[in-house]
Amino acid sequence: MTALTKGLHTVDAGLLIGGFDDPVQQSQQLFRQLLTVTSEPGRIETVTATSQQPDGLNVASWALALSLFDADCTVWLSPSLAAQPSLISNLMFHCQTRLVEHADEADFAFCNAAELNSLQGFSFGSAEYPATSTSLIVQVPGLSGEPCWTLSGPGIETTRSVRVCGLSEPLQAELIDSRHRFPSGIDCFFSCADQLMALPRSTQITITEKEA
Amino acid sequence: MSQADGYNFAYLDEQTKRMIRRAILKAVAIPGYQVPFGGREMPLPHGWGTGGMQVTASVIGTDDRLKVIDQGADDTTNAISIRRFFARTAGVETTEKTADATLIQTRHRIPERPLKNGQILIYQVPVPEPLRFIEPRDSETRKMHALREYGAMQVKLYEDVARFGHIATSYDYPVMVNGRYMMCPSPIPKFDNPKMDRMPALQLFGAGFEKRIYAVPPYTEVKSLDFDDHPFEVQQWEGSCEICGSDHSFLDEVITDDAGSKMFVCSDTDYCRERLAEQSAATTEEVAL
Repeated sequence: MTALTKGLHTVDAGLLIGGFDDPVQQSQQLFRQLLTVTSEPGRIETVTATSQQPDGLNVASWALALSLFDADCTVWLSPSLAAQPSLISNLMFHCQTRLVEHADEADFAFCNAAELNSLQGFSFGSAEYPATSTSLIVQVPGLSGEPCWTLSGPGIETTRSVRVCGLSEPLQAELIDSRHRFPSGIDCFFSCADQLMALPRSTQITITEKEA
Repeated sequence: MSQADGYNFAYLDEQTKRMIRRAILKAVAIPGYQVPFGGREMPLPHGWGTGGMQVTASVIGTDDRLKVIDQGADDTTNAISIRRFFARTAGVETTEKTADATLIQTRHRIPERPLKNGQILIYQVPVPEPLRFIEPRDSETRKMHALREYGAMQVKLYEDVARFGHIATSYDYPVMVNGRYMMCPSPIPKFDNPKMDRMPALQLFGAGFEKRIYAVPPYTEVKSLDFDDHPFEVQQWEGSCEICGSDHSFLDEVITDDAGSKMFVCSDTDYCRERLAEQSAATTEEVAL
């Protein structure tokens, strides 16, 4: 078993799995799904990508990483994900991403819903440079079109109902409150198994039914 | 169609596409905000649609059907060249029919036929900053956008009213996107501005020379600037298209000889062709009856 040291992290060749079979076409297909979900917030797309994922990531999150990440972006992992050597090795091998210690330095952050208590710590961008914010990819236990949140705003004809399971009440309140800071803000992707949904900062959220 | 050898799919390398794709996602998330990106050299000069082409190259896939228009026409040099470029480098199908296209790259027009949800309209943009001719410093215009300080543009439009009695700006007419960002709609005639409002299709804008990407998601409010006593109006023609007879489309004035003869025809060639086909179908039906 060989280990290649890169900064603080190491790539362990024994933990590597395959990426996309056809990186050019599959990256494009996944990007189009990302573009669809971002331009139509609350819409759920099903990803068909890879047969294997590194420990800790679901199909949709891993496909997003393979499609969007490279050596030009920084990635932060929530504590339980950062403790997965297979994830770190595969992210560094397939995407050459730079993993960062502090969430506010990250272009992208992977989190499990249970570990995400607050948006504080992530970069919201500034009024002059709102695009420098962190994009969150939150792995949640369930996604559906049940009426739990009512979404409105750009990309939504009238309103759209969604249910994002596993987000704590203070976090939901913080998400809704963060809309006042527009154009600064955090764009979220929610992934559950092979499902993907986006909640860009421009989307207004109303809670219609509290989660039991 | 098959793809040419020796090039990556759709010409650009994968790392460039990823960088542009990340910029596009940010642009969609912040409607109307201009996201900087690392513009690349394309095999044609700046000003010929390199920004639009880089966006198209990053978005296009093998299943797409591409339409390219230049001032509404499918058969001008620029439109034909760009269409052929992607047919060659990406092997995609191309079309002249607005209804059949999944991606439409455009220079300075929005097709007359209403676009559907799922289609993507990609604009070629020369100067993405609406405030640039008012304030040349980027540091200042950036601050003006941050503070939503757009009074200077209202003053510019007011100067039109004071001098001419009406708002004389007829193309590249500034709009407000989702009530937050002032945006340059690229030099489309203001006739097309109302089509941008709550359009079901996704609109992406690429400025190659200035290296900016911005976007308007589907169903987003796009409002043309105006005054209560001088509401926004589009231009009108007294005549109609001499080919298809349309009295509601954007017309081009075409000089037909050197004796000053001229005619008005639809700027959107596909729309004109479609109307002609409908009319000839209707006449054939009448004859058959």
